[in-house]
Amino acid sequence: MTPAGQMLIPALVLLPLLWLLPGAVHGGGLALLLQFWLAALQPSLDPHLLLTALRGIGVTLAIALWSWFLSLLLGFAGGLLSSVAVSQRLWRCTWPALLIRRLLAFPRSLHELLWGLILLQLMGLQTGVAVLAIALPYGALVARVMADQLDALPLQPIEALSTAGAPAWAALFTAFLPPLWPQVLSYGGYRLECALRSATLLGVFGLGGIGADLRLSLQSLQFHEVWTSLWCLAVVMLLLEGTVRWLQRRWHQPLGSVGQRGLELLLLALLLVLLLIPSAQLMELRWQELFSGWHWPASLPLWDGAGWIQPWLPLIGTTLLLTLLSALLALAITPWVLLLLCPWRGCRPLLQLLGLLARLLPPPLTALLLLFVLKPGLLPAVLALGLHNAGILGRLLLEGLDAQDQRASEALRLAGAGPRRSLLVAGFNTVARSYLSFGAYRADVILRESVVVGLVGAGGLGVLLLESLSSFAWIEVVPVLVVYAALTLIGESAADAYRSRLLSGPLPLEGLNQAVRS
Amino acid sequence: MRSLLVLLAVLLAPLSPVLAAQVLRISAIPDQNPERLNRLYGLVAAELSDQLGVQVRYVPVIDYTAAVTGFRRGDLDLVWFGGLTGVQARLQTPGAVVLAQRDVDARFRSVFIANRQALKDLKPFTSIAELSQLKNKRFSFGSESSTSGRLMPQFFLAKAGVEPKDFSGGQPGFSGSHDATIALVQSGAYEAGALNEQVWESRLKEGKVDTSKVVLLWRTPTYPDYHWVAQGNLNKRFGAGFTSKLQQALLELSPDQPRQAQVLELFGAKKFIKAPVDQYASIESVGRQLGKIR
Repeated sequence: MTPAGQMLIPALVLLPLLWLLPGAVHGGGLALLLQFWLAALQPSLDPHLLLTALRGIGVTLAIALWSWFLSLLLGFAGGLLSSVAVSQRLWRCTWPALLIRRLLAFPRSLHELLWGLILLQLMGLQTGVAVLAIALPYGALVARVMADQLDALPLQPIEALSTAGAPAWAALFTAFLPPLWPQVLSYGGYRLECALRSATLLGVFGLGGIGADLRLSLQSLQFHEVWTSLWCLAVVMLLLEGTVRWLQRRWHQPLGSVGQRGLELLLLALLLVLLLIPSAQLMELRWQELFSGWHWPASLPLWDGAGWIQPWLPLIGTTLLLTLLSALLALAITPWVLLLLCPWRGCRPLLQLLGLLARLLPPPLTALLLLFVLKPGLLPAVLALGLHNAGILGRLLLEGLDAQDQRASEALRLAGAGPRRSLLVAGFNTVARSYLSFGAYRADVILRESVVVGLVGAGGLGVLLLESLSSFAWIEVVPVLVVYAALTLIGESAADAYRSRLLSGPLPLEGLNQAVRS
Repeated sequence: MRSLLVLLAVLLAPLSPVLAAQVLRISAIPDQNPERLNRLYGLVAAELSDQLGVQVRYVPVIDYTAAVTGFRRGDLDLVWFGGLTGVQARLQTPGAVVLAQRDVDARFRSVFIANRQALKDLKPFTSIAELSQLKNKRFSFGSESSTSGRLMPQFFLAKAGVEPKDFSGGQPGFSGSHDATIALVQSGAYEAGALNEQVWESRLKEGKVDTSKVVLLWRTPTYPDYHWVAQGNLNKRFGAGFTSKLQQALLELSPDQPRQAQVLELFGAKKFIKAPVDQYASIESVGRQLGKIR
């Protein structure tokens, strides 16, 4: 099958979804859903509300920034320590690196929301909980990516330096850091965007920031207020994404004078570090309180054999089905819409707007909206997760298409091919592998995310987990967490295997390529 | 490397200002619209602050579980809990005391409501057995941990032989709050729902319910519900006798004083009364029966 064909084939997922649809629609709240969309045009401009929204967004941004900063620190340290190449230089053996790599798999295996809910129990109602909840799994993720990148570097430079008598650390920094910079830059920017989305999501579950306002005003059906927060968030997200993209592009090409990139980087780093202080004050971050007086109620047992007796097979089956359907849906949407609408001029802007909205709304809130017209169950959950991730994947696809060499599609068009054919042959064929590879990575993320739509009764492990948490039944929470972690680790290696098969050849596309290496 | 560490230390150090003077942190389960809660507990905080001479701050929380956790952790000093969350919180927090309840809380009820359009064939009924008509309907509770919006309705439904899996879609919805339940049933997103009787009555009185669209199906028998729960260490922190002064302040709220009258009206009560702890034994046993207390 051609690469473009592989990009379009996930649309087969629509068959089971369409088959589920008639049984799931009730349409009772259609009027509500219409009201919701109409309210987009007239967000509430009440000054008090605007102020609250801005403050909420400030807190969300502060959480994102801090958790991003900490995750990079953790990630760099963890990446160095778990790289085989580095370990060999420093300690002349590989087992410390392999051990640390195994240990880091655990924080990575749980979604940041789960970390948030666990840390909330330990540390109480503080925004610092959200920061740590994001920083821990992100840090472990960054560490893995860093280690992979380090181990993929050629060893000649460092060997040369060592032979010349340079100390181990100095040799490592000189030989390994410069070639890593481009990846670190793209990946770091991408992580900041992820951190903003995660911080919004954690807010939905009451861990601070704009998410709480979104959920409360949505639940009380104050749609004009929902849109005030949503539009503010949209502006922030667009600005962030735009800036990150601009900087990445700028630093990927050779700049005017030698050292200019380094200088700019230093300035940016300084700016971000300076921003950390006011943002800590904004969200009232207090490390001392955060780490003092950890508290686990003696009355709540953690371990009991009875908690392990659960209908694991259907639970795991539903979770996997939810993940698979959502991932395929997320992959299928953008290429198909693009293909069907591409002769129309407004296609791109429309896709960009819809993609932004999809990324903006945290999946549990999308699911709540869908419940206005759908019965609770698998379908609203699949749609919520699928749409959100389609927004993320879609943006990468559009950027990938923009970044590729336009001459091929020009040539095809001049030769008389229609816009669809040229998009298929010249566009999709070149970006397909990187798109699918990023899709595999997102599928891995969706597996972790499936817990957040437990709210809408999708079934699976997420529902059991949320119910056990609200009953303070830790003897049930622990087994579910363990099973979840095992499942995501298996999922992660499956996605890795698929990606490495897909990416074994040289990658043709620059723009998408960088983000995909994550 | 060392300069990086120094930088970090400098960065992290100023983030821990000394704790301000003792503040009494009050909170409540988020059972109604947030703007209403903000108004109500802003008034309560001002009233208590004036009467007790300490700083009082209202800490909003987003869900019932967070209120329980915050109380157990000692982040919240005085919380307006529901029956179930109050029992959960006291079971997890040694020394916690029940200070007061409203006059209506000893004999509280839930109401089952339905969308007229969706349930043309359903008429208001008086016998619990008729709850079985709700099988295969789209049904919404309030919050997962709500006593009047979930626990007791689920208990009465079970008595009529209706399990959560019998609803359309194989599970009930959880709207999050009593106001949301009314709105969702009124809109037709759910065909029926259950909520707090006092919220229902007060929204009816305020004219916020469209009675051409929503109809009351059934009132449940009575059970004890909401109560104020305080930490056991308040005397130690705020001075001897503080807890009883606090309790007195709550019990003496009277409709003769404008601000206190407003508080009572927003609470939907004539006054607060002492709450005997043992009356919540029934809630605890229902909670255990339905797995919400382990």
